[in-house]
Amino acid sequence: MITVQSALTGLLLGGLYALMAAGVSITWGVLRIINLAHFGLILLSAYLTVLLASAWGMDPILTVVITGPAMFVAGGALQWAYDRLGISELNSLLVSFGLLIMTVQVVSNIFSADFRRMSAEVNPYATASVATGRLVFPVTTLLAFLIAVAVIGAAHLVLRGTFPGRALRAFAEDRGIAGAFGIDHRTLGTLLGAVSGATAAVAGMLFALANALTPAVAFEWFGIVFAVVILGGIGHLLGTLAAGLLVGALTGVVSVLLSPAAAPLVLFGAIVVVLLLRPRGLFVRTASSATVDAVVRSAGRPAQRDGRS
Amino acid sequence: MLEVRDLDAYYGGARALWSVSLDVAAGETVSIIGPNGAGKSTIVAAVARLHRNVRGRVAVDGVDVLSLPPHRICDRGVAIVPEGRRVFGHMSVRDNLFLGAYRRLARAGHRETLAEVYALFPRLAARSAQPAGRLSGGEQQMLAIGRALMARPRLLLLDEPSLGLAPIVIDEVFEAITTINARGVSVLLVEQDIDRALEISARGYLLTEGRIIAEGPASTLRDRDDVRRSVLGI
Amino acid sequence: MIVRGLAGIALAAGALATLSLYRETLGVPISVLALLTTMLFWTTQATSWNILSGYSGYFSFGQAAYVGVGAYTTAVLFGRHQVDFGLTVLVAAGLCAVLGLGIGVLAFRLRSLRGEIFALLTLAVPFILAALARINGAIDGGQGVVVGIPAFPAAIGRFQDFLYLVNLVVAGLAVAVAFVMANSRSGWALAAIRDAEDVGEALGVATFRYKLVALVASAVIGGVGGSIFALQIGFVTVDSVFTLTVPLFVIVMSVLGGRTHWFGPVLGAVLVVLLQDRLTAADLGGWQLVVLGAVLIVAVLVAPEGIYARLRALLPARRHAVPGSDVDIAVPAAGTDRVLVECDELCRNFGGVRAVRDLSLRIHAGELVGLVGPNGSGKTTLVNLLAGSLRPTGGSVRIAGQDTRTLAPHRIAHVGVARTYQIPRPFASMTVRDNVAVAVMFGRVPRNLTEARRIAAGHLAMVGLAGHADAFPAALNLHQRQLLEIARALATAPTLLLLDEALAGLNPAEIDDAVGVIRRIHAAGVSIVIVEHLLRVVKAVATRVVVLDRGSCLADGDPATVLTDPAVVRAYLGKRAHA
Repeated sequence: MITVQSALTGLLLGGLYALMAAGVSITWGVLRIINLAHFGLILLSAYLTVLLASAWGMDPILTVVITGPAMFVAGGALQWAYDRLGISELNSLLVSFGLLIMTVQVVSNIFSADFRRMSAEVNPYATASVATGRLVFPVTTLLAFLIAVAVIGAAHLVLRGTFPGRALRAFAEDRGIAGAFGIDHRTLGTLLGAVSGATAAVAGMLFALANALTPAVAFEWFGIVFAVVILGGIGHLLGTLAAGLLVGALTGVVSVLLSPAAAPLVLFGAIVVVLLLRPRGLFVRTASSATVDAVVRSAGRPAQRDGRS
Repeated sequence: MLEVRDLDAYYGGARALWSVSLDVAAGETVSIIGPNGAGKSTIVAAVARLHRNVRGRVAVDGVDVLSLPPHRICDRGVAIVPEGRRVFGHMSVRDNLFLGAYRRLARAGHRETLAEVYALFPRLAARSAQPAGRLSGGEQQMLAIGRALMARPRLLLLDEPSLGLAPIVIDEVFEAITTINARGVSVLLVEQDIDRALEISARGYLLTEGRIIAEGPASTLRDRDDVRRSVLGI
Repeated sequence: MIVRGLAGIALAAGALATLSLYRETLGVPISVLALLTTMLFWTTQATSWNILSGYSGYFSFGQAAYVGVGAYTTAVLFGRHQVDFGLTVLVAAGLCAVLGLGIGVLAFRLRSLRGEIFALLTLAVPFILAALARINGAIDGGQGVVVGIPAFPAAIGRFQDFLYLVNLVVAGLAVAVAFVMANSRSGWALAAIRDAEDVGEALGVATFRYKLVALVASAVIGGVGGSIFALQIGFVTVDSVFTLTVPLFVIVMSVLGGRTHWFGPVLGAVLVVLLQDRLTAADLGGWQLVVLGAVLIVAVLVAPEGIYARLRALLPARRHAVPGSDVDIAVPAAGTDRVLVECDELCRNFGGVRAVRDLSLRIHAGELVGLVGPNGSGKTTLVNLLAGSLRPTGGSVRIAGQDTRTLAPHRIAHVGVARTYQIPRPFASMTVRDNVAVAVMFGRVPRNLTEARRIAAGHLAMVGLAGHADAFPAALNLHQRQLLEIARALATAPTLLLLDEALAGLNPAEIDDAVGVIRRIHAAGVSIVIVEHLLRVVKAVATRVVVLDRGSCLADGDPATVLTDPAVVRAYLGKRAHA
């Protein structure tokens, strides 16, 4: 029973990992930017949530009304800057690593490195729980799961069925041709960065609801979120969601059956196996010809010479 | 409709075009023929702003397009069917087509345009939900043409539409090009298959080693032995 | 050159040692010694990182793993169990070697490994190890481990002197290793990997092995440094060694100093530690990481090649006077009817597109085969299949009697296959001569650099690039780059040379020149397959022409007959064409 309980709790927590990972995954897949600064945005949002709820007495969930737009702007600005500076994939990793370290240090200098948590008066959700049969789930975990699934689901629908969504997918595959059909990468990239920023605000709020904060927690997200990104397939939202849930459940079960500290071992073991067997992600269908075409082009087909006949 | 004047193009240090000038009148089909490596595709890529290392003048309806941001070219009514098709392999056939109608002008009537494209290429309608990467070469070519049509172009740029296709499929593709032209769309066609190209064109330009060395009515070019020899490269 | 360099490093280390040995005579304050100790520690770590990440371009975010393993080895064995300190350093080195080997074998075996994925994989390693240390009471258990002061000769003076000297020895050794690697086969292999890994592999560089060697060397150095770091901090906790500031520091130092050269990380470590010291002195210690993050961003954006590279660029270029030699291209005498290439029912599909279908082909030694066909007919795919850059979907390929389908590309190079690329892909960081010399060094018969450079001069003369030997590829025009491609391919002493549109984009005079080069190579006994659009060129050089159309062989025979074959003309010109 305890295994079932922790598997399910882990599964629910996995929703939050997936939400954190979604922004990283999609900017990586579409814009070829590995934005570690995303974790900085999540961290900032979490601290702002605590600050706004404690100082102004706002309902912690409603703080998203403020942090959401703020991170929307921050994420957009960041992406705009990456684009203007023409940063390569590897350099984006270095630059955003620098940004993340800076953010964590600034947060630490302002809010101190100690644990911070919203008190029970300002955070009514922290103590509530829902019981079904012999299973008990904290309200915060359920909320995090539901909101994460809703946000990722909505983003997936936008990507599938709207013009900007299709434009993003097309851009991810072939920038040149996407441009020839009127897709302006700077506007679209900035928008994508901004929306990712807004999801960081939601993720930060949800994390702050259930957990105590320290600046270094941003580094703890690191490993697990990248596990989710790689397992889910870079740039694949539904894969990311599924990977998040899987990672959550796996962590939950391993923590009970072995020990909490064994979870990272199992998790990263799983990543290595996935990279060996299904390098494009656990939930991604095998390579279609377009990707192979890209391989061939890079191996030097005429199409590579910018279409010179 | 399209006016190219003194176009020079470069790839890094290598020069690909030497002062190329050509015109396409409204409603006309014009071919650029020549051996591989002559720079035919570069002309088309320059007009579509896919290749930007160029000098000279390219005007569509009198408006210079080389000074426009690249993504604005389709607002001038120009759409490209690129060499090697370059369909979005992970996206469904339908989404590929919708993408062609991304710009606001084309988006308004995109459902009607979609019906027209499906009428022109019924095989695309049958496979609309499939990822484009799973289509055969011929179907991918049709999809690339359909995608361009979704932009409601007045000038269609076609780069080697016969590339790697079986003769019967090439026939189908060229029939479609004729139909499209008959509806009033101007066509600039780059092609290696000179007979097919000149058969559906009003005029043609012969390009070798980056220079236009002959031009004239399609029927004349077709019968000239020197043109054939140049295209064969012997 | 290597001996001189090592002597220089030893001299510098000796000079630095006097600061401690004659500290009182020289009046060096102990605080200066402490600062220098920190610099030396980071010099070791940055050098360790640079050996893999700087030289090969595979950025690691896992430096803390080696520091942590090293520190905990000493902390547990010496701190808790009083094992001899020196012995713990050796154990740390051994453990890190195993760790590095494990990471390398896993990561570099991934076919899809890209630099970014490697970075993230290495990022995960310290997290896993930190978790292990935290739960395992025998290692840490969350309490931290106290490390005492080991016994050291009284002549050394204070403990700070001992720390300084030990760090000096380790840093000196680390720099010496980095220097020797940079100036040996490994260094050239790693530079080729950094510039164009698959090209290097195709030229015969056993990339997997060299990456693994670099990774293990890096791990061992990092671990030894971490081991003495345990003495320095005296109290080892998970958070003090498995921290992300370690990779931040080493990356900032190496990128800032210059990561393609062994001296870059040394310079970077000195600068960053000085900066850190000044910040602390100005009471801005809390903003240290903010400043370092900013330095990293600025360095990446403004001078990604690093300060040292900038400084060197100011010096006049050194020219190597290398005697050219008229080398014969070492080719086994070819019996003309020996079958060199055997393809049977070869297929390659890309999704719904069949690029090569059921192709059977024999190529005999001594032939010069022109491979022609309309665009999209599968010529380049066939070249990629022969060179091993692509694996067939079906059918078989045998070259010189060997089944090459499962051979690694560098093994195929050693079977005697060399290729050029449509778009020339030179090693950008090497001179024209060294581009060719690398290919000689890693050919079937391994050669040292001096020999390789001499032989390279011969190949450059063969293609007419002798006058550009000291130039960098960026300074060459397209024609010269294509000639460089050919010279480099030739340097592997191939029996089969695959020229993939080696004449594309050339003007007529350049084409005539290149045709002459190809004839000379053929005359020297190399069998050649040339993909070429210009049929007059094919007609002029080929002894046999194979025409592909939609992935199949349409015609095969002597040039004059094949090129006037109505079916071939039709494939080229269109449906109604007739000669």
